[in-house]
Amino acid sequence: MKKINSDLRIKIAEMVKRSGEGHIPSSYSIVDIINYLYENILKYDIKNIESEDRDYFILSKGHGCGALYVVLNKFGFLSEKDILDYSTSKGILGGHPDMTIVPGAEASTGSLGHGFPTAMGLALGLRIKNKDNRVFALMGDGECHEGTIWESANVGANLELGNLCGIVDWNKSASQLMPLDKLNEKWKAFGWEVHEVDGHSNSDLKKCFSNLKFNKTGKPKVIIAHTTKGKGVSFAEGHGPWHHKVPSDIEMIELIKELSI
Amino acid sequence: MKKIRNEFADTMFEIAESDKDLVVMVGDISHGILQDFNKKYPGRYYNIGICEPTIVNMAAGLSKVNLNPVVHTIAPFITERAYEQIKLDFGYQKLPINIVSVGGSFDYAQLGCSHHCYTDVSLICHLKRGTVTIPGSAEEFNILFKQSYKNGLINYYRIPDNPHGIEIKKDQIKFGKGICIKPGNDVTIVTTGTLLKNAVIASEKLSKEGISAEILYYHTIKPFDKELLQKSLSKTNNLVCVEELSAHDGLFNLCLRNSFNLSGIKYCQMAVEDFIHGYGTYDELCAKAGLSSEDIYNNTLNLINK
Repeated sequence: MKKINSDLRIKIAEMVKRSGEGHIPSSYSIVDIINYLYENILKYDIKNIESEDRDYFILSKGHGCGALYVVLNKFGFLSEKDILDYSTSKGILGGHPDMTIVPGAEASTGSLGHGFPTAMGLALGLRIKNKDNRVFALMGDGECHEGTIWESANVGANLELGNLCGIVDWNKSASQLMPLDKLNEKWKAFGWEVHEVDGHSNSDLKKCFSNLKFNKTGKPKVIIAHTTKGKGVSFAEGHGPWHHKVPSDIEMIELIKELSI
Repeated sequence: MKKIRNEFADTMFEIAESDKDLVVMVGDISHGILQDFNKKYPGRYYNIGICEPTIVNMAAGLSKVNLNPVVHTIAPFITERAYEQIKLDFGYQKLPINIVSVGGSFDYAQLGCSHHCYTDVSLICHLKRGTVTIPGSAEEFNILFKQSYKNGLINYYRIPDNPHGIEIKKDQIKFGKGICIKPGNDVTIVTTGTLLKNAVIASEKLSKEGISAEILYYHTIKPFDKELLQKSLSKTNNLVCVEELSAHDGLFNLCLRNSFNLSGIKYCQMAVEDFIHGYGTYDELCAKAGLSSEDIYNNTLNLINK
């Protein structure tokens, strides 16, 4: 598991290095979660990715799309060529996902605070249609500064969207400007079923996601995922210049070296 | 005269019978008049809350699972406040939605500028897949909504509080087509919404002065009926455009863009330049904004005598 996700991390860094664009640390904090979901939780048919029976995953923090792209590539939604052409005019992938051209991207996110309420609409729509599909939406802790996240926290609980699961990537990005502490208590106070998980531990993710009970009407769920921004590369962990930085040639060698241990 | 907002509720009730995918979400507006709908079609009506951006975001989710969302609340809040949601979730993502507003311009004449909205029409027009309809009577709403709401586009229906009160034959009401309310030879008066009433009053007064005004009424702003305008201007060479929309980008702008190939046209723009401060009736605020029938009469005389 660790080896595979190191590979995903190296692939993200290579995409960013080649194109000169991307958010490496924001992708590294969520790549283990997204990989786990596509490998173990989400229901989809790779031969019919628009199937009406699929579960929906929305990456609300669109700038972490490097993680989504490499996972979609791993599970057959995207080709190697798609990855190679990332952020160029030849390709379909860019610094934020465009659902009209990216297979598997359920929303064109980028402006924060859109994906999560859209996921809520999806959950409501599926319930109206009496469908059992589940909806997952991953948002950032910085994204939780946006008002629509908390509007949705109110609405989701009020509508009892038991088929909806939010995931907060609590990589403490927000702490550098406006800290969001007690996230657990905040969501609980809004009426959500709250779980906490180590977002880099496969066994923890397994324990959490496999025990979730989904239903058409009930408490919506939110997973507070404790993560590290830039996880896996010591000099990119935390905050500061690495948020939107392209590695130099030397840094790239160091990054691959650290991830290959 | 039936309120157009009541017709909105009745039309939703009527359509929902045959369209099982119609879902109505409101932001605590028209909740009372939608109760028949709510009772007859449970699970397809939601008074979501006072959170307009989220309501629009949610509509994108409904749209993605092939439901037909109708979102409804006060114009400035559902368009100006939630514009990024409309732009990105429906423009960028190419999803369909139906937005029905009340309280455009200064319809909430007693509530002040926080509830006024002059730029909504322009904002939706900026989106390639945006359509804008201002039905000025209950009948127009029913007909135009049914003609357009399933076209897969971003449809904006702006419901005026005051119907224009001018009788229009049913078969003349067609989405995307303007209507010649009164033929004339000397000047073309273009208008939309409630202001049709003032245009008709002004034209009657003008006729006493021997001036024959042709009145073109645009219930659909986008798509714009260019042919109707061109035909009229080729005859009159004078245009007075009367609208309760922003002077910086509204119906007058459309008239200019759709007539620049014609030469020798004289133009007069009557629109909203700035916030209409103060309180009163719709007609009083109209007068304050310079959009009364008297203003139309005077501006038309000035244009013709230029």
